[in-house]
Amino acid sequence: MRISAGDSASDRLIPVHRMRPGDHAFVSYDDDEIRWDVLTAFTRLGLARGERVIVFPRPGLSEEEVLARLDFPNRTTATARIRGQLVLSSMRRLISPDPAFTADRQWSRLREETTQAVAEGYTGLRAFIDMHWVPDLGADVHTMMHRESNAHELFKGRPYSEICAYDRRWFAPEVLTAMAEAHPRNLLEQLGALHTERAPDGALRFIGEADAATKQPFLTTLELALVQGAAAGRLVLDLSRLHFLSVGCATGLLTLVQEANGLSRVEVRGDLVQLRTLQRLGAASISRLTLSEVTRPC
Amino acid sequence: MLIPESARPQGAGDEPSVRYLLQRRFTARLLPQVRLLVEECAAREGLAEPRRGEFVLAVDEVAGNAVEHAGGSGRLILRRIGDELECLVIDSGPGFTEAVIPELLPGLDGAPTGRGLWMARLVADRLTIAAGAAAGAVVTLAVRVH
Repeated sequence: MRISAGDSASDRLIPVHRMRPGDHAFVSYDDDEIRWDVLTAFTRLGLARGERVIVFPRPGLSEEEVLARLDFPNRTTATARIRGQLVLSSMRRLISPDPAFTADRQWSRLREETTQAVAEGYTGLRAFIDMHWVPDLGADVHTMMHRESNAHELFKGRPYSEICAYDRRWFAPEVLTAMAEAHPRNLLEQLGALHTERAPDGALRFIGEADAATKQPFLTTLELALVQGAAAGRLVLDLSRLHFLSVGCATGLLTLVQEANGLSRVEVRGDLVQLRTLQRLGAASISRLTLSEVTRPC
Repeated sequence: MLIPESARPQGAGDEPSVRYLLQRRFTARLLPQVRLLVEECAAREGLAEPRRGEFVLAVDEVAGNAVEHAGGSGRLILRRIGDELECLVIDSGPGFTEAVIPELLPGLDGAPTGRGLWMARLVADRLTIAAGAAAGAVVTLAVRVH
């Protein structure tokens, strides 16, 4: 788990489960196993929500390997592939017959694909793009960066979402930093991760999954924040970007807040499932604790 | 994959149809993936929020219990039976009964164990614990989809 101070890049961080139509997200990887986490989650949840999914895998990977990864451990994605809900493509194929990449050509084709998906009855279109297409097409990195930084119109008022996955072993650090900034969303790199940051309003924000594996860092961070918050007398805990809150972590949160005698008020912001969990575990018995619901997108 | 006797639908005729959605062995490391797969299947079957999130929470608590108390692993079967989404968590540990689940939630100062299964039973429409075919336990939890 990393703790950051709410810089503008981390302020846009979400777990992949929270990707919704209209989101344009950056993720980076340097591990050839872990990189499948985001792709499979994005694909499977998109198919389950009735969206069409187009995957632009790293050029050179065989379709068999990509499909085997997506299909494991059950074959729901195979069925989706047969009926055309899941499509494997390439940037070369997308912009064809144009031989060279231009942002206008790519945007035009993605708009067409979104319109077609909706016309065929899907709730939207989502695309996963491994950015290794850049060297594969011999495209200019700065042209790609310009596309990524000026793609807002592609997502406005359109049920289209996109993940751009950058290999940290190929792209230069300054390119990665600029691209993380250029995307309205940044994604946690793997399932089961927990990240903590200070929101601009001072709230302690948890992002990702608070489960048995991340319980100790979750509680240690919380305990420190409660001590630090004693000076102000109050603390806000933002769970709205936490996709999973286990009973163990919720119980630990309540226990620490109950024991935090230096604070007069602790506010927890979360979605309905999280707040119900806390209520069922006895939140009402802690007078300094208030719960505020943040609507979770469906 | 072999389906244990206790996990097979009994009888025939008017019994609701059974569709297997997911079968997966798990360890602690695989629990985030298991949650994703259960969430995916639940969404596909039409279980809406907040019940979907509560179902995933209940499954995680039961699977986590198997990891912690039954040798670090288990097997999960998710199936659709009529209007229910049913999950079986099968382990090969020492076995246990519903007696381990406290009737009332322990206070925050009380016993540290049992809250996960207590919550699973609370949010599920149905939860039972049976002995496994050879050893261990089979926990069955189900929610109505509509």
